[in-house]
Amino acid sequence: MSGFSSEERAAPFTLDYRVFLKNEKGQYISPFHDIPIYADKVRHPSMMIPLHSIQGDRARPYLKKKKARWISPLHQGEGEGQMAPIPGHCMADPGHNDEHTGCCGDNDPIDVCEIGSKVCARGEIIRVKVLGILAMIDEGETDWKVIAINVDDADAANYNDIHDVKRLKPGYLEATVDWFRRYKVPDGKPENEFAFNAEFKDKDFAMDIIKSTHDHWKALVTKKTDGKGISCMNTTVSESPFKCDPDAAKAIVDALPPPCESACTVPTDGKIPVKLH
Amino acid sequence: MRALLPLLRTGAAAATCLPRGASARPGPRRAMALYRTEERGQPCSQDYRVFFKNVAGHYISPFHDIPLKVDSKEENGIPTKKARNDEYENLFNMVVEVPRWTNAKMEIATKEPLNPIKQDVKNGKLRYAANIFPHKGYIWNYGALPQTWEDPHQKDKSTNCCGDNDPIDVCEIGSKVLSRGEVIHVKILGVLGLIDEGETDWKLIAINANDPEASKFHDIGDVKKFKPGYLEATLNWFRVYKVPEGKPENQFAFNGEFKNKAFALEVIASTHECWKALLMKKCSAGAISCTNVQVCDSPFHCTQDEARSLVESVSFSLNEETNEEEQAWYFLGK
Repeated sequence: MSGFSSEERAAPFTLDYRVFLKNEKGQYISPFHDIPIYADKVRHPSMMIPLHSIQGDRARPYLKKKKARWISPLHQGEGEGQMAPIPGHCMADPGHNDEHTGCCGDNDPIDVCEIGSKVCARGEIIRVKVLGILAMIDEGETDWKVIAINVDDADAANYNDIHDVKRLKPGYLEATVDWFRRYKVPDGKPENEFAFNAEFKDKDFAMDIIKSTHDHWKALVTKKTDGKGISCMNTTVSESPFKCDPDAAKAIVDALPPPCESACTVPTDGKIPVKLH
Repeated sequence: MRALLPLLRTGAAAATCLPRGASARPGPRRAMALYRTEERGQPCSQDYRVFFKNVAGHYISPFHDIPLKVDSKEENGIPTKKARNDEYENLFNMVVEVPRWTNAKMEIATKEPLNPIKQDVKNGKLRYAANIFPHKGYIWNYGALPQTWEDPHQKDKSTNCCGDNDPIDVCEIGSKVLSRGEVIHVKILGVLGLIDEGETDWKLIAINANDPEASKFHDIGDVKKFKPGYLEATLNWFRVYKVPEGKPENQFAFNGEFKNKAFALEVIASTHECWKALLMKKCSAGAISCTNVQVCDSPFHCTQDEARSLVESVSFSLNEETNEEEQAWYFLGK
């Protein structure tokens, strides 16, 4: 998507590492609050690429502050399939029990797995076609995983719903469930669970869930629900009491460590494949 | 056209380290790096070459001048105690061509003097292995055993096909992603009888002697036990890896069964004999370059100075090619 750019701060693979987003004027924005969810009239959601990892990359930075985490690569499928939160305007509400999963939200924007053939760059904003959704329950919290494809993928015209993924990329959805079920096991955590017997729901269902998380987000930035540690600072949401001007945004970023000049290495942990029986 | 400022990067890419154990069991000494590499040209270009040098800084051929079997006495010039168990016998040197999870099809250039590593070219373009879902690139550290050769004039009795005119290939299954041009010690565990486009193309299964779990692996059964699914994935990878290029699926001897270590050692011995015949000019080399600096009886032996002249006459440029194809996954179904 044109207009957006990213700026790194501190060294990758350290706790201080950050990627800030800027608009076409070079002003700092929040990828959570200031990017419209629907990129065009066809209602293709915008999607921001990692923050989470890209294919073949074992490092997994997070949107919020946490201990720097590594995904141990599993044997089936080296590295994570692309994942990112849908920015701006989606929110899994932790105060709200989801009727499908019976669990509260994970307090994050909704996650997306983009299945196209291009490996994207961290901080990239792309438009995606929503194809379906998986209802993961990660450590007791609802953690929806939207399945989507980059609208610019060479094959995008062939993908319109979840059954196209089964037909054209056989094994990908099975590998996806498997990955999410087991990806924390190397860290000593138990396997994750799913609603709907780990069945992938279709596009219409996914769009409903997205709409619902969008409503949660609106309530969040207009202070109708409690943010519970979330920063709602934004530069574009006019009805939000958390709106600030571009200079205030710049002051926040300027106070942080500058970009890292020296090369950074991946710890060896990231190279050991784990065999799960 | 030779660049004015040649891009020469050297690496201590070949540490053959066998750690001294903490227990009373005697271990081999920690060896210093016996081989170094020198890169010329840019990676991802047709001119890129990785030359090898020995510890004295003289250019050598990784095909002909690195001993097949690890023999500390030969390599270091220092006598060692005889190994008390077969942990340290039957170790072979392996030249790493392709690090795990990379795609560039790097190989020992058998037809060029001193046989540097280069990237394979087909139809004028650099070759990359396809990503066969769910895998990324090669799923092991991949390379070759030096001083071996699969003779294209001889039909292998197990496969009934002639050899592929290359050193024998190795899939190293350890946990560390190795570097291009590294020379390591491996334990042989078994072998797969691939018939690649009608040519015999044995694939040895081996583990880095320095792998933290190496002591658990003695034979092919241990791979099945400790790394379940790995051999199945290996078989499938070799069966379909050329399908994205439009080639048919490959075939195997023994119905795709992985043969054990004893069988593998026989295959290695046989390819070593073929190589010896090659270097002594007892059979036709075809386009293979047998130039070497260490095999003193070979009619193809040359001096260190001649070797250096050969390397210095190799031209290269600063061009780089980009490749988008590496990113896509091929879903070949099951």
